[in-house]
Amino acid sequence: MDRIYRVTPQSCIACGKCELACSFAHGSDGRPAQSRIHIFRRGPEAGTPVVCLQCDDAACLAVCPVGALSWNLRTGAIEVSQETCIRCRMCVVACPFGNMHWDEGRHEVAKCDLCGGDPRCVPFCPTGALAWLTPAAAVRPAEPTATRDGLPGDR
Amino acid sequence: MATLTIDGRRVEAPAGTFLLQACRQAGVSVPTLCDHPAVEPYGGCRLCVVDVTRPEWDGWRKMVVSCLYPVEDGLIVDTRSDRVIETRRVVLDLLLARSPRTPLIQRLAREYGIERTSYEPNPEPTDCILCGLCVRICDRLGHSAIGTADRGAGRVVAPPFHEPPEACVGCLACAEICPTGFIRFESGPDRRRIWNRDFEMVRCPRCGRAHVTKAQAAWYARRMGWPEAEFEVCDSCRRRDMAATTVRLGEGPTGNAAS
Repeated sequence: MDRIYRVTPQSCIACGKCELACSFAHGSDGRPAQSRIHIFRRGPEAGTPVVCLQCDDAACLAVCPVGALSWNLRTGAIEVSQETCIRCRMCVVACPFGNMHWDEGRHEVAKCDLCGGDPRCVPFCPTGALAWLTPAAAVRPAEPTATRDGLPGDR
Repeated sequence: MATLTIDGRRVEAPAGTFLLQACRQAGVSVPTLCDHPAVEPYGGCRLCVVDVTRPEWDGWRKMVVSCLYPVEDGLIVDTRSDRVIETRRVVLDLLLARSPRTPLIQRLAREYGIERTSYEPNPEPTDCILCGLCVRICDRLGHSAIGTADRGAGRVVAPPFHEPPEACVGCLACAEICPTGFIRFESGPDRRRIWNRDFEMVRCPRCGRAHVTKAQAAWYARRMGWPEAEFEVCDSCRRRDMAATTVRLGEGPTGNAAS
């Protein structure tokens, strides 16, 4: 796992390009409804991306009765083996964040798999709200801290 | 690791695995109907037969079902010998007599050159090929709501006493795994019906969408040790909640907890 998928909701302008990129990357018809990333609009040109968190202690992975979900240790994604999956959809119900989808068209469960280590949504994000970074680059600079003269905002 | 020969090629396979996996890993296709990675091998359909021999057997060969035959060092496997093909043809011929109208069986039979069965076709054609996948997956999920009933030609997949099964939660896993679509169900916003049993649906309290049966929610709750209410909200409303939580965290004291 040499890269980290970083989401910065403050930078999202709700353009929906990630949804399109995602649906094209995982199918041919590019319907945003099939996307594994969803933008919730919170005002003009402001959105909140919602995408799988690849939880350390993932509920989807824990409930799967047949072990169809597994970690890809190279990319850090939890992936679905469609051959093993029995379509009981327990993972869809179990995910507390709703990030496991049921794709009615393809008749299978779908989740963000980080596109096998090259998330297609990232290059299409115009504002950098979605980023695929090395751990060093993903670390945010520290917040300015209080000094002798008080908090940064006081001056 | 075991080293064996499959169709003249040397192949390595982890000890404790079966020939079918070794064949498929080597890129050799073997037809199956009752095999599924989610359940244990069953040896029910007999389509995956292969010939095996060893140098010290002096030319003696035996035919085995590859899904249940463990890999061995030095084994020589032939997946395309005449008698293997002939055996598969007989199996498919019999299956086509049983299920003459089932597209999956018709297709497989055609691959082996059978257009019409040479046996007396079943007067009551059925799509059920008794592969047992539905029974095994129901067992695997821990319900055991269905099984095979009766013997011989009258053997069928059915719930106990052919009555609506009490142990069923209406998860539809049996219908989903059925390779021929024999298991019928109806699923609507208010009711789901399978194996002649009606199930009440849970409606998402936010959007009203019916997504699981009440019995399913109760079973998930037991299995996960979570309260049943956890399974009421549907996945799209949960995403909405997650977005709202993200926004709330972003508005918090530091302003960047949201990421």
